Amino acid sequence: MITVDNIDISTRRRVLTIIILLAFIILFLRLYQLQLLSHTEFGKKSEENSVRVVVKEPVRGYMFDRTGRLVVDDGPAYSITVTPAMFDTNNLAFLSSLLQVDPALIQARINRGRAYSRFSPVRVVRDIDFKTLSKVEENLYLLPGVSYDVESKRLYPFNVRAPHLLGYCKEITDAQLARSGSIYQQGDLVGSSGLEASYETFLRGEKGYEFISVNSKGQLLGPLEGGRRDVPSKEGFDLILSIDFSLQAFAESLMTNYRGALVAIDPNDGGVLAMVSKPDFDPAIFSGVTSSEVWTELNTDPDKPLFNRATMTRYPPGSTFKMLVAAAGLEEGIIDEHSHITCGGSFRLGRKVFKDMHVHGSVNVVDAIHRSCDVFFYQLILKVGLDKLQEYGNRFGFGKPTGIDIGDETSGLIPSTEYYDRVYGKGKWTQGNLVSLGIGQGEIGVSPLQMAQYVAALANGGTLVQPHAVNSIRNKRTNKLDNIDHHEIPVWLTSEVMSMIREGMRRVVEEPGGTGGLARISGVVSAGKTGTAQNPHGADHAWYVGFAPFDQPKIAIAVMLENAGTGGAKAAPIAGMVMEKYLFGELRRKVANHNSQTHIQDTTVRTTEQGIQ
Amino acid sequence: MFSYFKEYFDFRAFFICLALVIIGLVSIYSATFDINNAANFHRQTLWAGVGFIAMVITSFVPLRTLQRLSMVFYSIVMIILAVVLVIGSTVKGSKSWFGLGGLGGQPSEFAKITTVLAFASYLSRTDVTLSRLKHLAIALCIFAAPMFLILAQPDLGTTIVFFVALLPLLYWAGASNFILIAILVPILAAGGALLGTTQFLIAVVIGAILLYVFRENRFTVAVAFGITLAVGLSVQVIYEHMHVYQQKRISTFLNPEADPLGSGYNVVQSKIAIGSGGFFGKGFLKGTQTQLNYIPEQWTDFIFCVTGEEFGFIGASIVLGLFAALLLHALRIAAISKNKFGSLTAIGILGIFGTHIIFNIGMSMGLMPVIGLPLPFLSYGGSSLVANMMMVGLLMNFYANRKEY
Repeated sequence: MITVDNIDISTRRRVLTIIILLAFIILFLRLYQLQLLSHTEFGKKSEENSVRVVVKEPVRGYMFDRTGRLVVDDGPAYSITVTPAMFDTNNLAFLSSLLQVDPALIQARINRGRAYSRFSPVRVVRDIDFKTLSKVEENLYLLPGVSYDVESKRLYPFNVRAPHLLGYCKEITDAQLARSGSIYQQGDLVGSSGLEASYETFLRGEKGYEFISVNSKGQLLGPLEGGRRDVPSKEGFDLILSIDFSLQAFAESLMTNYRGALVAIDPNDGGVLAMVSKPDFDPAIFSGVTSSEVWTELNTDPDKPLFNRATMTRYPPGSTFKMLVAAAGLEEGIIDEHSHITCGGSFRLGRKVFKDMHVHGSVNVVDAIHRSCDVFFYQLILKVGLDKLQEYGNRFGFGKPTGIDIGDETSGLIPSTEYYDRVYGKGKWTQGNLVSLGIGQGEIGVSPLQMAQYVAALANGGTLVQPHAVNSIRNKRTNKLDNIDHHEIPVWLTSEVMSMIREGMRRVVEEPGGTGGLARISGVVSAGKTGTAQNPHGADHAWYVGFAPFDQPKIAIAVMLENAGTGGAKAAPIAGMVMEKYLFGELRRKVANHNSQTHIQDTTVRTTEQGIQ
Repeated sequence: MFSYFKEYFDFRAFFICLALVIIGLVSIYSATFDINNAANFHRQTLWAGVGFIAMVITSFVPLRTLQRLSMVFYSIVMIILAVVLVIGSTVKGSKSWFGLGGLGGQPSEFAKITTVLAFASYLSRTDVTLSRLKHLAIALCIFAAPMFLILAQPDLGTTIVFFVALLPLLYWAGASNFILIAILVPILAAGGALLGTTQFLIAVVIGAILLYVFRENRFTVAVAFGITLAVGLSVQVIYEHMHVYQQKRISTFLNPEADPLGSGYNVVQSKIAIGSGGFFGKGFLKGTQTQLNYIPEQWTDFIFCVTGEEFGFIGASIVLGLFAALLLHALRIAAISKNKFGSLTAIGILGIFGTHIIFNIGMSMGLMPVIGLPLPFLSYGGSSLVANMMMVGLLMNFYANRKEY
C-alpha cells in the first residue's frame, strides 16, 4: 500500500549532504553578516551598551485603620551604592569619612556584592540623612563607582507603636533569598514579623525595570530605545485594618507602666480593635537602617520587648475561667439555675483544704460568678471532670491557635487525661489535681488573645469569631476592596445557659458585691469578670475580661497585667476606660475617681489624643 | 602498524570531538570565572573526563550486543522518564531532573540516543519493512512515546529534536516522500492552530496541496488529511482550555520579542556580542558583553556568543567548520557501513547533533526562535556532554566495524 522508494544509498547521501551544507552556508553567511558587515554597528553598540538594567522598587502597600486613616505610610530613603568593578579601593577611607561608617563594614559589603556580580551596584549604607547625602553627592565626581539609590521606608504618622501587630521589614537573609527564587534580590527588604510578614505577598508589589544605556566608563547615556522596553513597577496592595488607631494609642498609653497585654475585639466579626503588648519598642527603628546595637539591646532586654505578650504568653486565667466551668456544668445538666451550695470559706478534699477569699454562704451559679465564689467551682469541676473541661475549653478556642493573621501565637494548654498521665504517670494523679482547675489555676495556659476571643463569644451570644487585624485588601490593579473571609464557629450553648452566665457577668460590674466595679462605664451597662492568677515566681497576675454594651455588645476586651496584683484593682479600670473611650470617643469618667497611677496615665492620654486629632 | 590503526580508529570523529570539548571548556571558563570563580568550568572538566570514559566504552561494545540491548536501554529510559514526571524536581519550570543521591541528571538527554538505537534495532530486523503499515506504525510509536513524555515535562526543545531527527531517519530507512510529508503536515497544522484561525486554515490548505502533489493513492491522502485536521482542531481546543499562564508561555515561545525581559532581550544582547567580536575577536576574557554578564546564564544555551565575541569570525568559523565536518563524517559512516543497524544509528546521531547545532547557533544569531537547546560539546551541562560523547563513541564504533554485516 505504501511504497518504499528504492533510490540507492548514494542518492540519499547526496540529498542529505546538500541539506547539511545549505544549513551551514546560511549560518556562515549570517556570521559573516554580523561579524564583518555589521561589525562597526555592533561594535559601537557594544561599546555604548551597554545596557544597564535598573531595578525600580515598587511602593510598598499602605495600611489604613478601620476609620480610613493612613496609619502606615511609605517615604523615601536614600542608600549609597558601590559598583565593585568601578570602585577604587584607595577611596575607601574618603568614602567612610563622608558617611561616618567604619571602612571595614563598607569593604565587607562590597566583597559580599562582588561574589554575586562585580558590575551590579551593592548598597553599602541604607537610609542616610539628607545632609550626608548632599555631602556624598558633592564629591561623587571624585568617587567613581559610587552612586545612590532612592528606596522606600516605612513611616508611622500616628503616635502609635503597636510594633508586634504592625511588624517590621528586614533585609532579606541569604537563606530566604535561596528559597524565594527570582522575586527578591540581595539587599531587598522583606516583611519579617507581624502584618508586614503575614501580608508580604500583597504588600510588596512588583518590581519594575528600566533599561538604561551606559557607555564603557559607566556613564549614563539615557533610556534604551526611548524607554520602550521599560517595565514599570507595580504598587503593593493596601491593607484596611480592623484596628481603631485612636483606641490603640489610648490603650497603649494606659499600659505604659505595666508589663502585660490588652486585646480588644469587635465581638460581632472578630476584628481586632486594639492590641497592646508592653513593654514594646518603636517600629520606626526598623524602618531604615537598624544598627546591631539596637538589635542586641532589644534582644537582651530582660523585659523582652520583642515578645508579643498578647499572643505568646501562657498564663493561668484565674477566675475569668469560671464562666467556662459554669457553662460546662449547666450545659451537661450537672447543675441548673436552682442548684446551690453553702460556702463556708473553704473546701476540703481528703486531707487537703482549698481556701476561698470570703465566706459566701448559700450561692447558686449566678451568685457564684457574681461574687467569684471559689468553693462553688471547686465542687463543680469535680463533677464536670477533665474530659468535659477539655471539650468546653476547645469549644471556646482554648488549647489551639486562634488563627489570627499576625503570625506567631501560642496554642496554650488545656490539660487532658493523657496530659496528666504523661506528666504525673498513669494513676499517680488524683481529683486533687483537678480542684484548682475549677478556678482557672494550675495547669492551664491561655493567651490574652484567646481570652478576648472567649469573652467575645460570651458577648455575641455564642459564636467563636476568628480574631483578625486586616478586614480587607485594596487591590491596586482593579482598585477594588477584597474582603477577607474569617471563620465563625458556634460554641453550642443554649440561650438559657448563656443568659445565666451573662447575668453573672453583668452583676460582677454593675451590682454591689461584684469584683469588677472599677470597670463600670457611666451610661452603659457592661459585663465582665476579674481574675487573679497565682504566680509561684512572684506577685499575682491581674486579669480582666469584659464586654459592653451588655445588650448589643460592640467591644470585647481582655487585659492581663504581669505581677500587678488583683484583677479588680488593676486590670478592671484599664478595661473600663478603653471600652468607654471606644463607645463614646472620649473618656467621661473623672480622673480623680481613680488612684494616682491612673491619674498619671490619663495625662498621657490627653497628649496622645492631641497628637491624633 | 599505523595503517592498521587507521583502519580501525576513527581519527576524524575523535579529534573533532576533542577540539569542540576544549573550545567549550575555554568558553565556559570565560563566561563563569567572574561569577563563581569558574566552579562551572571545573565541574564541566570533570564531566568531560566522565564523558571520555563513556566514549571509550561505547566505542568498544560489540555491535550485536548493542543491537540486542537497545530495547532494554529504551525501556529503562522510558521508565525513568515516566518516574521523573511524577517525582522529578522542577528546574526552570519543567520537570526534567532526576536526582539520585547528590547526583542529578536529565534522562531526556539519554532518551534521544536510546530511542534512535531502538528505532534502528527494530528496522534492521530482516522481517521489518516500512512499506507495511503495521511496521511503520510501530516504528513511529517508538519515537512518539518518549516524545510525549518529554513534551509533558514540558521540554519543547527536546521534543523538537526528536521530531526533526526522525525525518532523516525515516528517509534513510527508505520511507517515501509521501510518508515524510504526511508526518510534517499535521505539525504544520498544529503550529498554525496555535497562531490563529487564519493561520490554521492557510496551513491546512498548504498541507492539502503538498499531500496531493506527493500522493500515492486517494485513501492514504484522505487518512493523512483527516489526521491533519484532527491534530489541528484538538490543539485549538486544548489551547482554549489551558490556564492563562500556560497560554502565555506558548505565546512567548512563538513571539519572544513580546517578552522584553526574557528571550527577546537575550537575542538582542547575543547579536551585539557576536557582531562586536569582528574578525579577530576581542580576545580571551576580554569580551565586554560576556564579562559584564549581559546574558543571564550565558554558559548554557548562549555559549556560542562567548566564542563569537572573544574569538571573532575566525573562532566562530572554526566551530561551524568542526560541526559541519562532524555531521558530514556521520553521514559518511552511515553510507559506508555495511551494517543496517549501525548505518541507521549514525543517521539518528546526525539528526540529533544537527538539530541541536542549527537551532542553537541559529538562535544565538537571531535566525531561529529561542528554545532551550544546548550546543553539543560547548554548552555547560553534565548529562548533555556525556550523552554527546557517548554518541561520538558510537560513531567510532560503527566506523571500526563498518565492514561487518
